Formats: sequence, C-alpha cells, structure tokens
Amino acid sequence: MKYAEAVAYIASRWTDELVVTSAGTTSELWHAETGETEKVFYLEASMSLSSVFACGIAQGVAEKPVWVFSGDGAFCMNPGMLQVERQMNLPNLKHFMLSNRVYGSTSNVPLPGRVDNDYPAIARGFGIERVYSFGSMNELQATFDEAVLEPGHTFIHLEVEPMDYRGASPPMDGPEVKFRFGRYVERVTGNQVFSAPLDHG
Amino acid sequence: MESNIEASVRSAARSVETGYSADVAQEIVDTCVDAGISLVASLPDDWIAHTIASFEQDERVNHVPVNREESALGLCSGAFLAGTGSAALMGASGLMTLVYAITKINYTYEIPIFIMITHRGTFDDGAKFHVSNGLYLEDVIKSISMPYTIINSRDELPMIGEAYHHSRKISRPTVAVLPKKLLQGKV
Repeated sequence: MKYAEAVAYIASRWTDELVVTSAGTTSELWHAETGETEKVFYLEASMSLSSVFACGIAQGVAEKPVWVFSGDGAFCMNPGMLQVERQMNLPNLKHFMLSNRVYGSTSNVPLPGRVDNDYPAIARGFGIERVYSFGSMNELQATFDEAVLEPGHTFIHLEVEPMDYRGASPPMDGPEVKFRFGRYVERVTGNQVFSAPLDHG
Repeated sequence: MESNIEASVRSAARSVETGYSADVAQEIVDTCVDAGISLVASLPDDWIAHTIASFEQDERVNHVPVNREESALGLCSGAFLAGTGSAALMGASGLMTLVYAITKINYTYEIPIFIMITHRGTFDDGAKFHVSNGLYLEDVIKSISMPYTIINSRDELPMIGEAYHHSRKISRPTVAVLPKKLLQGKV
C-alpha cells in the first residue's frame, strides 16, 4: 500500500474527529491533504508519544472521536504506549499506526527488527481487543467503516511502502498549534482549556 | 488476578510497614484535588508507593499507571488540551529521563504540565544508586529553567497547588519535590 494513498483515503473519510498527527510524514501529508489548522494537533515533536498524548485528549472529550497517527519508528521506541492505551481503553480513540519498516523522517534508516516485527500480534498481546491490519487499499477501504466508525478503542496497523517524501511542515509554530486546537476544543465541547476564555459570540 | 484497587491496598500496607505516612499521602491527594487535578499519571518510587495507592483508591481522580515517565508527560500534555487538570507523579530518576521530551513537546508547544517527584539524593536517602543520581537532580531542573519548589513540611503542602497553578500561568512545566521525611510524616 502506498503511504500517501492511505493517508489521503483516511483524510477523505474524515468528518469532525479530533486528529493528532506525529513527527514528520503524517503531519506533512495530513496538512497537505486537508489544510486544516484547528481540529488537528500537529505533534511534529512527538517523541513516540502521539498516542498517549491523544489518550490525554480523548479522556477529556468522551463525546468526540479522536484519531491519532503514529509510525512504526515511534512504536519501536515506545511499544508500551499500547499498555497505556489498553489501561485506559477509551472507546473514542482510534490509533492508526503506519508501518513502513524504516525511520521515514530520517532518510528511511531501517528499523530494528524490521523484518520480524509483528505489530498486530504485539497489540493483541497487550490485550487490545479491536486490532485491524491492512496491507492494501482494497482491504482498508472494505473494512474502514467497521474498524474506524464503530465505537471501541481500536489499533489499526497499515503496512505501507517507504516513500521518498519531504513535504513542508504545517505553517504554524508550536504555540499557534496549541491555541488553535485548544480553542477549537473549547468551542465544540464547552471544556475550558485556557485560563482566559474567548468570547465566541 | 486481584484488581488494581486490591493491589494498591496491598502496596499501601507495605508502604506503611516501611515507614511512610498514610496521612501525608492522603493530604497530597486532597491538595491536588482541591487544586483542580483530576488525572494523575504515575511511575513508582518506593517513597511514593502510598501516594500512588491513595490516588488509585480515590474516586475523584483518574489514576493511570503508565509504562514510562515520558508517557506520563505525553498523557498529561494531551489532558491539558482537553481541559483536564493533571499531574505526573514519579521518582527523581524519572524526571532525569524527561529532559528531551520536555524540551521537545512542552517547550515547543508551550504546554504546561505539573510534575511531582521524590527528592532523591539527600542525606537520608539510603540507596546509593539514587544518591548518585540525586547529585545532579536540581542542577538538571535548573539547566532547563523549570520552576520548582521543595515541600519541606506538611505545612507547605499547599505549595503543591501553587506549583500546579503556576504551570498554567507560565505555560511551562513546574515541579514539586517531595522529601523523604515529608512522605514519612516526620516534618
């Protein structure tokens, strides 16, 4: 499966879910596909923490679905992210893990265990009940509704080809990403994120 | 298998046997709740075993044991963006592993988090491997300009709330440091 095609398809199915992207390619591709600057937190400095970051968001906005992207590079650094996800078992969290078997943001340097790593098996081993694995666009498209739109914490493994992509970062500095996203959360959930509220009237 | 609550009751009992104060642990929990904290992510240190158990057993708090200290940072950072007050509770050595994640996530995006750690490396610390680590603890905190306060007695426990609110005020991490004698109820 082509990396960019997978991301483009998921973006085409996106409606009003909150989205967290991770370092490098997913942030760049998602912004290129959608141009969105409010309901996406572009966590380019993700440090393998995008999914636990998304857990923090999802636990506070139970009525909103949260989609989070990570890569298998991040997964190799912190596979225990799935233990935290399982512990919290948030029904509104969908975790897309794009597996290209390389560190895609750093010139496709090969991952440790790249041939043998069985990510869906690891997820099941941590007790995650809803695990999907897609190796082709046909599979992704055929099962997307069941995997993504039905409730329940879900880990979705997407086996993709490495790509030579170096897109532009979303054109916002960190604090702007924070404020745009946080103000959006305030607006749609009524939660107070910042100490000083905006007048939405 | 016993539940998390049952396991935490057992851990708390052991902590009392080894000299740590159930009352102080509960005061820390109450202070955090009063400050607006409703989510706590923790990694263990023997000194705070009872505090962790008290968070686990308190229905006002969503306590999440995490796999590593960086995950506590990630979870609490995300919680901020949902409007949830949170704290990351860990040993001093846990904080020493966090420098890169703090500078990358919390400083880049200006996301506040509140961290509580043990004050390892003091003269009353009997663990050699913690003492050597503690030699550099405060210097490391200062090196990345994180405001911190040492809670030297039970009278100073309200400083926990102040440190939490200060993190929100400055959009950066702050740290409250918990000494052994405090956690033992001796000061």
